[in-house]
Amino acid sequence: MRKWLEEIARRWELFVALSVFFALPAFAQGNYEIQVYGAATVEPKTTMFELHSNFTIDGEKARIDGVYPTNHQEHETLEITQGINDWSEVGFYVFTSIQDGHGWQWVGDHIRPRVRLPDSWHWVVGVSLSTEIGYQRAAYSPDTWTWEIRPIVDKSVGRWYFAVNPAFERTLHGPDVNQGFQFAPAVKVSYDFTKVVSGGVEYYGNYGELGNFASLHNQQQQIFIVTDLNVSPKWEINIGAGIGPTAATDRWIIKGILGRHFSWIKQPDIE
Amino acid sequence: MLSRRGILKLGGAAALSAALLKAAHTPVDPDYSIEIAPFLLEISPKHTVKTIAYNRQIPGEILRLAEGRPVIVDVTNHTSREEVVHWHGLFLPSDVDGAMEEGTPMVSPGSTVRYTFTPRPAGFRWYHTHTRAGDDLKAGQYTGQQGFLMIEPRKAMSAYDREFFLALHDWDGQMFSSGDGSMNPAYNFSTINGKMLGFGEPLKVKQGQRVLLHILNASPTDPHWISFSGHQFRVIALDGNPVPQPQTVPMLRLAPAERVCAIVEMSNPGVWVLGEVRKHIKSAGMGVVVEYSGYDGAPLWQQPQTLNWNYNQFAALVESRDSEEIVSIPLVFESKFAGHGAPDRWMINGKSYPDTEAVTLRKGQRYRLQFKNRSTDDHPVHLHRHSFEIRTLPRSQSTRGIVKDVVLVPAQSQVDVEFTADNPGLTLFHCHQQNHMDDGFMMLFRYA
Repeated sequence: MRKWLEEIARRWELFVALSVFFALPAFAQGNYEIQVYGAATVEPKTTMFELHSNFTIDGEKARIDGVYPTNHQEHETLEITQGINDWSEVGFYVFTSIQDGHGWQWVGDHIRPRVRLPDSWHWVVGVSLSTEIGYQRAAYSPDTWTWEIRPIVDKSVGRWYFAVNPAFERTLHGPDVNQGFQFAPAVKVSYDFTKVVSGGVEYYGNYGELGNFASLHNQQQQIFIVTDLNVSPKWEINIGAGIGPTAATDRWIIKGILGRHFSWIKQPDIE
Repeated sequence: MLSRRGILKLGGAAALSAALLKAAHTPVDPDYSIEIAPFLLEISPKHTVKTIAYNRQIPGEILRLAEGRPVIVDVTNHTSREEVVHWHGLFLPSDVDGAMEEGTPMVSPGSTVRYTFTPRPAGFRWYHTHTRAGDDLKAGQYTGQQGFLMIEPRKAMSAYDREFFLALHDWDGQMFSSGDGSMNPAYNFSTINGKMLGFGEPLKVKQGQRVLLHILNASPTDPHWISFSGHQFRVIALDGNPVPQPQTVPMLRLAPAERVCAIVEMSNPGVWVLGEVRKHIKSAGMGVVVEYSGYDGAPLWQQPQTLNWNYNQFAALVESRDSEEIVSIPLVFESKFAGHGAPDRWMINGKSYPDTEAVTLRKGQRYRLQFKNRSTDDHPVHLHRHSFEIRTLPRSQSTRGIVKDVVLVPAQSQVDVEFTADNPGLTLFHCHQQNHMDDGFMMLFRYA
């Protein structure tokens, strides 16, 4: 039995090591919206409503510089994304937090325009670029105004799906305002087990300031085992559990994303 | 003429026709020559498509052949790939039918192959490439290798004053994962006779004329719905075969490789658009202007609000009884998921070509093919070298008298057809959607 457990542990370590190795760039989005973006944008005249539900099972337990501890925080984020045309969209976020002793609190809002390469360019990979700017209360993040630029590249190859988000984050107001861009990559690798069920790994990191990366100990590193359920083109379902192996990262988080697309035009029968 | 290399290569093929060999040494001028070569097609002043064409035109020239009179066609391949020309809808021997799976020799790059055959039956047929495209959406039927083939009947099928041949095609495709998880191409441009709406020559007509339209859907993968604003179609033939009950309809639906012959009474003077009913395809270019003599101005388009088509409306009114023994052959169409980033693998009775079982036919026997489509895609299936009669349509509609060589089998439905095995030789059966046939949706019938 012990030998079997050791073997499991060894394989898990190997798995984590490989995941980190292949996770070239990525991005730690805070624990409000834990998602590696695909390159596709929401269709024009269509709105996507997504609920991101994340619970920190084992996180920071102390209040540091006035910031609430993340341990046992439940984050509920509403994302509303409107498709503009066949190559752009705008997303709007409402971040909230639920925690014993603090109740259900509004945390902040972000806005995120995004453009992508038109299909007519026939690139072999999907490419898009998003930029996100927003505010979060100091009780939940010492940096209250932040800005992010996120290139997105993805590709499906047979049953495999790859997405890379080498994001750059900048503080506009807060203690880190004098720092430059931080490098916050995210990567997803998944496999279609069936037409409906896909499973894979998502990696989120924040290495610190470009040119002056933090030590590994102080970097944010999160690895999630996830599953996507492709039940319908109208629905998006993603469930995962993640571990933060470094001291600067919450230890255990579970996450779920439930999304639904609504078209605001009556599709004529002839279409 | 065949090159030495070509002859050596062909010599290895057991099924090489005597006609081909004889032709290679006979100094007889061909009735027609087809040159297959790269071509830059200007579909509008702003858009060009780099493709391959027959005789530097898209569609290729109309070959008018007399039913029952032998014809010689020389095909020269100026491309870098092997090619083959399929004479779609004709009852030909396997070795000239134009499918390598049946044993027709390929036309090697730089060589000429002579096709000698006796065309039959009469009607509106077509000729096109029958090569595999695979991942290359600029090869096979994605190219401009298609042309009209009119096998002139001994007796005209209907009186008319003017006739036009119209070929529908889609260009510049890209594979996308569709809602059901399978992958299919989506196209940036669509044309009629190689031109986007507004950029080709208008069809010029006169008031009071009866115009016979021969419409071919040469799209590699997509069905098309066609209407003619201000006018209606009187459908007289499907796939070149007269229908038992000609009907006047507001629109046509043509699955890939299907043809419709329809009479239009020119009774509404003006400038009109004949085009795809679905807005996004018409705006991609699929339309042509029809101009009455003495009229000009902006062409008018009346947008239909529904899609309406049923093969059964052209069927014989009287249900005749079967007088002969019919052998049923169930053919189940299914797909095997290969990932959201890969096309599905298509199967007939659980197997993909070339592993599909070759069903043996007995000459003279009447067969009923039961197409059971369990997939979530529609399939325009085509039987080579024979015609079939549609017998059952979805929702168990019994029907008679509609003779075709392509029939669209809707997703999750069954269509039955009957044919008599009267043309011995290997006979290919496949979905005419290029990506489906490339991914295994083919099988062979062989004669005992």
